[in-house]
Amino acid sequence: MTALSATAQRYLTLVLHRAYAELRSESERTYIGFFWWVIEPIVFMAVLYLVFKVIMQRGTPNFVQFLFIGLVAWRWLETCLVSGANSIIMARGLMQQVYLSKLVFPLVVVVTNTVKFAIVCLLLVGFLVATGFPIGLPYLALPAVFATQLVLILGVTIVFAGLTPFLPDLIVVLRNVVRLWFFLSGIFWDIKDFSHRLQDALRFNPMVPVLEAYRDILLHDTWPDFELLAIIAAACLPVCLAGVWIIRRFDYVYPKLRY
Amino acid sequence: MSIPSSVTELPPVEDAEAVADEAAETAETAGVAPAPAPPVIELRNVGVCYQRKKGLFTRRSAGLWALEDVSLELHRGETLGIVGRNGAGKSTLLRLLAGITRPDRGTVINHGYRATLLSLQAGFVPHLTGRENVILSAMLLGLSRREILARMDDIVRFAELEESIDEPIGTYSTGMKARLGFSTAFHVDPQVFLLDEVLGVGDAGFVKKSTSAMNDRIRSDKTVVLVSHNGAVVRSLCDRLVWIEHGRVQAEGETREVLARYETHVKRQSR
Repeated sequence: MTALSATAQRYLTLVLHRAYAELRSESERTYIGFFWWVIEPIVFMAVLYLVFKVIMQRGTPNFVQFLFIGLVAWRWLETCLVSGANSIIMARGLMQQVYLSKLVFPLVVVVTNTVKFAIVCLLLVGFLVATGFPIGLPYLALPAVFATQLVLILGVTIVFAGLTPFLPDLIVVLRNVVRLWFFLSGIFWDIKDFSHRLQDALRFNPMVPVLEAYRDILLHDTWPDFELLAIIAAACLPVCLAGVWIIRRFDYVYPKLRY
Repeated sequence: MSIPSSVTELPPVEDAEAVADEAAETAETAGVAPAPAPPVIELRNVGVCYQRKKGLFTRRSAGLWALEDVSLELHRGETLGIVGRNGAGKSTLLRLLAGITRPDRGTVINHGYRATLLSLQAGFVPHLTGRENVILSAMLLGLSRREILARMDDIVRFAELEESIDEPIGTYSTGMKARLGFSTAFHVDPQVFLLDEVLGVGDAGFVKKSTSAMNDRIRSDKTVVLVSHNGAVVRSLCDRLVWIEHGRVQAEGETREVLARYETHVKRQSR
C-alpha cells in the first residue's frame, strides 16, 4: 500500500512538473507570453460575436455574456481533447528512454489546459461583474459543475490518447467530430429556443447541461440541476476508467509501436 | 496484438539488496568460497517483435523479431558487456532490461532491482532553467524530488555550471547541455546502470573527466550492462561479454575470448 501511494505521489509530482514546464515553455515561446492564453480566447469570442450579433443580428439580450460563458467552458474541453489525443504519440521519444506510465502524458495536457482555463475563468467572472451580473450564492455550486466537466474531459481525453497511437487516423476523425460537437453544444444558441422534443434529444450531449449549469449560476443567479450533473458525472466515470484500462493494458506496447 | 508475457516482480527493491548483502556476509563468515553473485535480472528465451506499420492500402507483413531467443543472467556487481552489429537487437535488449518494454515471448525476471537506461538530457525543456531541467530529468529517471534536491549541488558542481545553472538551458552551448545531461544521469545512480555507448561528453577536458568518473563507477561493485562497439572499452571494463547476432546469443563468456571471436567474425564478414 505504501509502495502504491509512493508511486502515485511520484507520478503526481511528475505530472505537475511537466505541466509547469509546458506552461513555461509555451509562455516563453512568444513575445507577450502567457497573455496569449487570455488574448486568444478573447479574439475567438470577438469573431463569433461579430458574426452572430453584428452581422447576422442574431441573439438574445445579454448575448455576449451568454456566448462568452459557453466559449470559455467549451475551450477547456476542446484544448484538452485535441492535444490530449496526440499526447502519447508525441511522447514516443521519451517512452524509448525511460519507463513511465503512459497516463502521465494525457494528464499533463489536462492539467496544463485546466490552469489556462482557470485564468480565463477569473477574467470571465470579472467581466460578468463589470457588466452587471454580480456574484451570487449559487456560485457555491460552481465546483460541482467544474468537477462534472472535468470527469467528462478526462474520460474522452484519456480514451482518445490511448487509441490514437494504434490508429493515427483517429486524430483527423476527432477534429471533425469536435467541430460537430461544438455546433451541437449550444454555445451561441439557447437550447430553450427549440421544441421540447429537440431539447430532450440535445441534452444527451453532456456539454449542453454543463453549459446550462454554468449559465444558471453565472447569468441567472439560480442553482443548477444537480441531479442532471450527477448523472453526467456518473456516466462519464466509466469512460474514464475505460481509458485508464486501455492505457494500462497497452503500457508496454506503446513504446514498441512504429509511428 | 502481442501475447501477454509474464514478467515477474519479486521482492521490493530495498529488501532485495539487504537479502543479497546478508547472504554474501553469511558466506564470508562461514569461510565458504563465495558462491556466484545472485542474479539481478534474468532473461529466459525472450523474443521481442515489432509490428511493421500497417495501413489499409499497404500489404500486411509479419512482425519483425528484433530479439529471437535470448537467455542471460545479470549478476550482482558485475559489468556485462554486449556486442553485436547494428540491428542485432542490442538496444531492444537494454529496453527490456530497463523495463520499458516487455517480451512477446519468454520471461524477464527482475529480482526487485531498479534498472535505468542512462539517457542523457531525457525530457530537457529549452525554456526552463538548468536547475528545473535537472529536477524534471532526474524525476523521469526515477528519483523523487527530495532525492534530487539532495544531489543538486553535486550535479551542478560536476557539470561545472555553478554560474549559469539558473539560466534557461536554451541559452546554453551544446557542450554545457551535454555536461548537465551527463551529470544529471550520472548522479541518478540507479541500482543497475544500463549504458548504450554513452561514455564521455563535452569538450576534451570534460570527456576525460566524465569518462573516468563513469569508468570508476563501472569498476566499482555496481551492476552495469554496457553496450559498446569499442573493443578497447569493452576489454578494459567488462567482466563478461555477450555477443548478439540476429536476435540470438552467439557467444557468451569471458570478455577477451568472446571479443576475439566477435572481431574475427566482423572482419570476415566485411571482407
